[in-house]
Amino acid sequence: MENKTVVEVVNEAAIKRALTRITYEIIEKNKGIEKLVLAGIRTRGIILAQRIADRILELEGESVEVIELDTSLYRDDREDDASAAQVSAGHVQDVAGKKVVIIDDVLYTGRTIRAALDAIIDRGRPEKIYLAVLIDRGNRELPIRADFVGKNLPTSREESVQVYLNETDGKEHVDIIKPS
Amino acid sequence: MKKRMLVLEDGNVFKGFGFGAEKETIGEVVFNTGMTGYQESITDQSYNGQLLTFTYPLVGNAGINRDDYESIFPTTKAVIVKEFARRPSNWRSRMNLDEFLTEKDIPGLTGVDTRRLTRVIREHGAMKAILTDFTEETDALIDRLKSVTLPTDQVAQVSTERPYVSPQNGRRVIVIDFGLKHSILHELNKRGCHVTVLPHDTKVDTILNLKPDGVMLTNGPGDPKDLPYAHDMIRELQKHVPIFGICLGHQLIALANGADTFKMTFGHRGFNHPVREIATGRIDFTSQNHGYAVSEESVDNNELRITHIEINDGTVEGLRHRRYPVFSVQYHPDAAPGPHDAADLFDQFIEEMDAWKVEETNA
Repeated sequence: MENKTVVEVVNEAAIKRALTRITYEIIEKNKGIEKLVLAGIRTRGIILAQRIADRILELEGESVEVIELDTSLYRDDREDDASAAQVSAGHVQDVAGKKVVIIDDVLYTGRTIRAALDAIIDRGRPEKIYLAVLIDRGNRELPIRADFVGKNLPTSREESVQVYLNETDGKEHVDIIKPS
Repeated sequence: MKKRMLVLEDGNVFKGFGFGAEKETIGEVVFNTGMTGYQESITDQSYNGQLLTFTYPLVGNAGINRDDYESIFPTTKAVIVKEFARRPSNWRSRMNLDEFLTEKDIPGLTGVDTRRLTRVIREHGAMKAILTDFTEETDALIDRLKSVTLPTDQVAQVSTERPYVSPQNGRRVIVIDFGLKHSILHELNKRGCHVTVLPHDTKVDTILNLKPDGVMLTNGPGDPKDLPYAHDMIRELQKHVPIFGICLGHQLIALANGADTFKMTFGHRGFNHPVREIATGRIDFTSQNHGYAVSEESVDNNELRITHIEINDGTVEGLRHRRYPVFSVQYHPDAAPGPHDAADLFDQFIEEMDAWKVEETNA
């Protein structure tokens, strides 16, 4: 294994605070939760979406719909075997007229988000699409910007950012991994 | 020891012995349920003008040290205990409670049943009281008490007169001193904030001209309604910069945004008050010291959102503005004294400042 430096940059408490703040911001920016749909991307985005939905339920006393997005079918940079890609948002077909918040753990090049936009628009014409991310690490390759950011982490392309969540990893923090 | 007694406005008399400074004093009698942290409490400026009763029976075991002051010149009116420790035992101790109170010119009363006193206050509310040398003529004292009006300029008494700086190399934070506890500066400095402390009546323009990353409104004594100039200041300031309010600062933010405050019967003074954060359901045990509270019904839901509530009696313990990066708590995340559960609110303040800065840059 090559030498790497791992630095923990966000701890569990900070993840919790960031999600709470994003929840407040989503409700205020949207002026309530009417027509709101949370769309979590793949594994960790879905977990984060669910946590935000739980907070909204506590705060507003109403639940919002959480849908799952699998963007692999829409990626432009993968030569994956197309049969493996499934569009798993099958149970919510219609996002027309809704206000969709795309939720992901890390915003990097913006290509995942572009794919997610395609995945959503294929299911109808939403009134509005927002983007919420836990970490914005910069280095965009597309003109995409998040509306709600947990933490800005300026990084270089040589580094990588890894988010760990209890549900998937049994631990909860964000690391920057630097090659050394 | 000289015989001394406490006479309450409602006619209750508590006879005991004097210690500390020898003088007569009049103020509002309140109780604190903390088992420890007497030094921090006595030096907390939020107790300005108050006769502070400790419900814990033995006070002063660890003496008084150099490190735990919350202000240099405490303005607590008197200290009432069941029994004080004449011979403290702690490696940090520099003097005992008696010597400390004498030095700070604060009278003390010992040998009274603080449990009964607490029960009286809980039943009849915090009230005026006089601590004086022993005399039989209590009727005259009660008449005198009734005619006394307690001062309402407490914040002006305890706030700094001139600005000063507590430097670090980091975010520029302005602290408006309504009765600042040193631990607030400590927590901000620890997080690398360059802190500028300004007097309580500073104008908005002066604050904004310093181009702060964030403004912190401190705790303080008295009725938040006595500070109308602060409400106007906050109403304008919140449009321009993130604000974090603690205790009195929290009440001022509420008043500035149309909510109302009321005087509680006996207040929250202690270190074991459970508070729930509504969004996450998380319970923190908090250090509290407040005699006023924000009334829940008065909170305008278009302006503010209630974020925290007290478990025991449901009082509003935290607020957040709907449009601006402004948030506040009624309790003391600086936890001096008290549990450190809520210390991460200072981290939240840092994050709010950073998020606001990014938004300003992108806008």
